[in-house]
Amino acid sequence: MQLANSDPLRRQERAGAKVNQKANLESTGIAVELRDVVKRFGEVTAVDHVSIRIKDGEFFSLLGPSGCGKTTTLRMIAGFEMATSGQILIEGQPQGYLPPHRRPVNTVFQNYALFPHMNVYDNVAFGLQMQGIPKKEIVHRVMEALELVHLKGMQRRRPRQLSGGQQQRVALARALVNRPKVLLLDEPLGALDLKLRKAMQLELKTLQDEVGITFVYVTHDQEEALTMSDRIAVMSKGRLLQIGAPQEIYESPQSRFVADFIGETNLIPGEISSSDSGAGIVLFGSAYTTAGWVEEGLRIGEQGLLSIRPEKVHIYPADFSQTPPHMTRVDALVQQVIYVGTDTRYVLELPNGVTLAGRQQNTIPGGGQFSIGEGVILCWDPDHARILRE
Amino acid sequence: MERTLRRFPALQAWLLLLPATAWLVIFFVAPLVIVLIYAFLERGTYGGVIWIFTVENFQRVFDPLYLDTFLRSVYIAIITTFFCLLIGFPLAFYIATRPQRKRNALLLALMIPFWTNFLIRTYAWLTLLRTNTGLINVSLMSLGLINKPLPLFGNDFAIILGLVYGWLPDMVLPLYAALERLDWSLIEAAGDLYASAPKVFLRIIWPLALPGVVAGSMLVFIPSLGAFVTPAILGAGKSLMIGNVISNQFLAAHDWPFGAALSTLMMALMLFGTLVYFRSTSQKGAIL
Repeated sequence: MQLANSDPLRRQERAGAKVNQKANLESTGIAVELRDVVKRFGEVTAVDHVSIRIKDGEFFSLLGPSGCGKTTTLRMIAGFEMATSGQILIEGQPQGYLPPHRRPVNTVFQNYALFPHMNVYDNVAFGLQMQGIPKKEIVHRVMEALELVHLKGMQRRRPRQLSGGQQQRVALARALVNRPKVLLLDEPLGALDLKLRKAMQLELKTLQDEVGITFVYVTHDQEEALTMSDRIAVMSKGRLLQIGAPQEIYESPQSRFVADFIGETNLIPGEISSSDSGAGIVLFGSAYTTAGWVEEGLRIGEQGLLSIRPEKVHIYPADFSQTPPHMTRVDALVQQVIYVGTDTRYVLELPNGVTLAGRQQNTIPGGGQFSIGEGVILCWDPDHARILRE
Repeated sequence: MERTLRRFPALQAWLLLLPATAWLVIFFVAPLVIVLIYAFLERGTYGGVIWIFTVENFQRVFDPLYLDTFLRSVYIAIITTFFCLLIGFPLAFYIATRPQRKRNALLLALMIPFWTNFLIRTYAWLTLLRTNTGLINVSLMSLGLINKPLPLFGNDFAIILGLVYGWLPDMVLPLYAALERLDWSLIEAAGDLYASAPKVFLRIIWPLALPGVVAGSMLVFIPSLGAFVTPAILGAGKSLMIGNVISNQFLAAHDWPFGAALSTLMMALMLFGTLVYFRSTSQKGAIL
């Protein structure tokens, strides 16, 4: 099924208002560009000088906690909100004050926003009807779209007669049937239960590969963003903190917020210092570790945070002596042992009272090797540690 | 007692309904039945009835004299409903799209004038509209904008004006209720799917507000059709509606059976309209 690639120019020609966007169609390889976009609601700055370039065909996620400006950013691309300053370009064309119905994008809404007084067919056909596409072609394309989202045979149902997952598929079909340049998705899986959400994540990803349309996906679920995205933009308090591939965001967080928000991390406070082997941080007393990366602008003598992922912390018995020389090595006490099926999690206390989380895979039956109160040795590769601003 | 009630839940339901049922039977059903019976009796000379069965009263209803008044009443009620809708819809839409706090204040502002007695408000219109001494004509003439008084009073215009004014809140409130429930993201979704503003209105807002439109229209149409005070005062006896004819039959002409026949027919008509409405909405409700 080739929804998008069959003839990308066709819709442009029909929708008279959008004819001018034809010119630059294949030019830049950038589907959406935000140039220094600011959005203020009265006193509140919802989006604060954000610049992003989203590539053609990319699955791009805007990730952040609620109120971080991700949805506002999406709504500005869609045309529901106008930027206070800055520019938004779609396919190289500045969108200015164009209303939503004049932009080559479609949106899948958080609550689906299906028209309750229309059946599934009419919901999906709506966008095509509004563009004045001949009836025969509408029938064909609606059926094609319904097949794409596995809803064939449901045309006559009303939205209220469908399950949450089915409604979600109708919303997808209703947007995709228009063959938009960019599909905007506003937490589309938020209302589904966990199991269905996991299934839909994979399905959405497959669907996107199939249709080849650029997806801009808003979510507050970091796991979802990591699973689905080609690239992720992490936002907090209206600001863009970091853009990168999931691995980059997870492995190389560039700020405390990103390290903390994506996955789980240990944040150990200490004074920044330096040794022959490079910049590092004093953990306590004489314990010192270097780090693979130090956040820009931090100086020796300042307080900082050491960030290390729990799964990067190796735990050995107290009498273990063969730790490789380049590894950081500290003593700790097992404070808590939590069995979670695949893993055993440990809460480990350093001699100065700071706790950190560690994790071991349960490769042997019976779970954890260590018990509460036991003295252990913690080891990690300094390259996996990062020093961040407090 | 308590035990008996627990053992017979139906009895409890009947006891709960008893006061309301008694009230309705004594003050609503009984008078209605009396009117219905009177409609088939002969008139007494000085009011009252003679207990002889006849259908003559219903034959007289179709006398062109009364039929004309009836059709004119329907016409006035339709025009009134139309203007209430024309004014009420944008108003309800405006109120429904304000922030919650403002909405309540606006609704209150809409209701406050209607806590004044209807008769007083209608007489207030009288002082504004009256042909030679009314405030509007006097002002316009003293300003030299017109030479002779405008025909603002004692005609259909005055009646419709009074009715629209009187029943506007009954149109706005159900419309507001329907529009307030409207999910704004549906309007955004329609815009996102290439619908221009007029298309959004026709395809999304109007169909979803339709139950409110129908409810409001009925709440305006029915009392307008049976209006009695407004045509009596603002129509000044020159422009009559069916409500005035009925009251005249009882009070002036002392023809109770004919008045009862006219009333019965009008009630039957409205009942029919209401049934049609409930059928259409309950069917829609089942699909939604």
